[in-house]
Amino acid sequence: MTPILELINIRVGYGQSVVLQDVSLNLREGEIVCLLGANGAGKTTTTRVVSGLLAPWAGEIRYAGENIATVPAHKRVELGICLSPEGRQVFPNFSVYENLLLGSFSKKARLRRTEMFDEVYGLFPRLAERRKQKAGLMSGGEQQMLAIGRALMGCPKLLMLDEPSLGLGPKIIIDVYEAVASIAKRGLSILFVEQNVQAALMIAHRGYVLANGHIAAEGTSAELRSSPLVQEAFLGKKPSRQDLSEVHRA
Amino acid sequence: MDLLPQVFSDALLLAGLYTLMAVGLSLGFGVLRIINFAQGEMIMLGAYGAFWGLTLLGVDPIISLPVLVVAGFALGWLIFRGFVAKVLDAPHINQILLTFGLALAIQHIAIILWSGNARSATTAYATESAFVGDVLVVYSRLIAFAIATIMVVALIAWLRWSETGRATRAVAENRAAAALMGIDVDRIYAMSFGVSCALSVATGVVVSFILTITPFMGFPMLIKSIAIVILGGLGSIAGTVIGAFVLAFSETFVSYYVPDGAGWAEGIAFLLIIGILILRPRGILGQTVET
Repeated sequence: MTPILELINIRVGYGQSVVLQDVSLNLREGEIVCLLGANGAGKTTTTRVVSGLLAPWAGEIRYAGENIATVPAHKRVELGICLSPEGRQVFPNFSVYENLLLGSFSKKARLRRTEMFDEVYGLFPRLAERRKQKAGLMSGGEQQMLAIGRALMGCPKLLMLDEPSLGLGPKIIIDVYEAVASIAKRGLSILFVEQNVQAALMIAHRGYVLANGHIAAEGTSAELRSSPLVQEAFLGKKPSRQDLSEVHRA
Repeated sequence: MDLLPQVFSDALLLAGLYTLMAVGLSLGFGVLRIINFAQGEMIMLGAYGAFWGLTLLGVDPIISLPVLVVAGFALGWLIFRGFVAKVLDAPHINQILLTFGLALAIQHIAIILWSGNARSATTAYATESAFVGDVLVVYSRLIAFAIATIMVVALIAWLRWSETGRATRAVAENRAAAALMGIDVDRIYAMSFGVSCALSVATGVVVSFILTITPFMGFPMLIKSIAIVILGGLGSIAGTVIGAFVLAFSETFVSYYVPDGAGWAEGIAFLLIIGILILRPRGILGQTVET
């Protein structure tokens, strides 16, 4: 079966500086995949490339088998690629309701607006309670729910979430991840970026570790959890001498 | 006789006109973050369009208004695609020089085509007036106020409730996030520029039967528009309405109550620009913008 998303040898950066040297990854339909990595490893850049905010210098972005590297961002939304971006980027002077309306701007999503409103409000009852509130006046956690809800309003086939837990309290992180897990049950493919590795590996099927613009490791969540590289980099465990030599060989 | 009702009526009618005059500039800046110095020339073109429609074809400016507004939109769209789109990400000084250059070019084309002679569109209602109680109402001003109000209300309703209007506001707030909503940002830019030019053309049509028409009429109106927009806060439509009322009321009050006030009134716009830039640079309702 063709993967829903396939990045092939993507190379991209900003100005003179290269961020992604050579990144290839794929996502099958219905799969939840997380992108791990330290700050500046290129996780957000990857979501920007897939959403079309950033054009790759080289490489292919295949979506359902077609190369979409030159398709502009707004048309990718119509194709079913929706991103809840880094820093949430809700429209601060718009109400919650209006933010969600904007989420379903694309023609295809407009037809299913009522249905999607029910779904998003069902997933995040908090948003329904605060629908008339200006987005800029809400707490970080509520804004995060709004950003995810807004991306869902676009009826995505591929949903990307960039750091959905950033700046949230532990209780809200659980809420957000429960929501993500229940979204995934409907057969959506999800690619998400996360610093919180523990949480990420709990809900993801597979993961990729980005380091210095390369894929440094990949595998199922179980494999990654036990990988010395991941343990050292993210879980705060000191690697043993043997682990280190393995990393060096890798 | 008590002057105050007359002063209020004059100021109110002028405020409506000023709102229409400045709202195009405000919309253009709010969405594109570019001050279009050719906005005054759009007013001038609108006035000439109305004048020639009346003189050559015998069509009343009110009748030719819809056609001219559509033409203004098309012209704005073309100017955006041909010129402004090229400097969107350029430094502000490039953008200013470009639109300023366009203004000069349009002005001089007007001089070549129509000469520098002053003209006026003399409609049947241009000189009519009536007393309402003690207040003298000039029909042409009343008609101008009515048209301005209808257009500004329509603009606000469109921005507030239509699908495209909402998208336009979203682009003004955050263009990358807007693109992620599936909004074609380039199209919204071209359209906003077109709408903003169309509003200025409408202003020109409306003033054609109030003011003298010359190729140079646009510049003073641009300066006043800039004063209004800075006063209200760049990019805020509600602020623009407030700014227009402040300018109209202060000008009217000065011209009535200050000796030789009619001359002084024209300088108030400058005074307001200087005052607001010193006291509250972001304007009454404006938000700070990072550049």
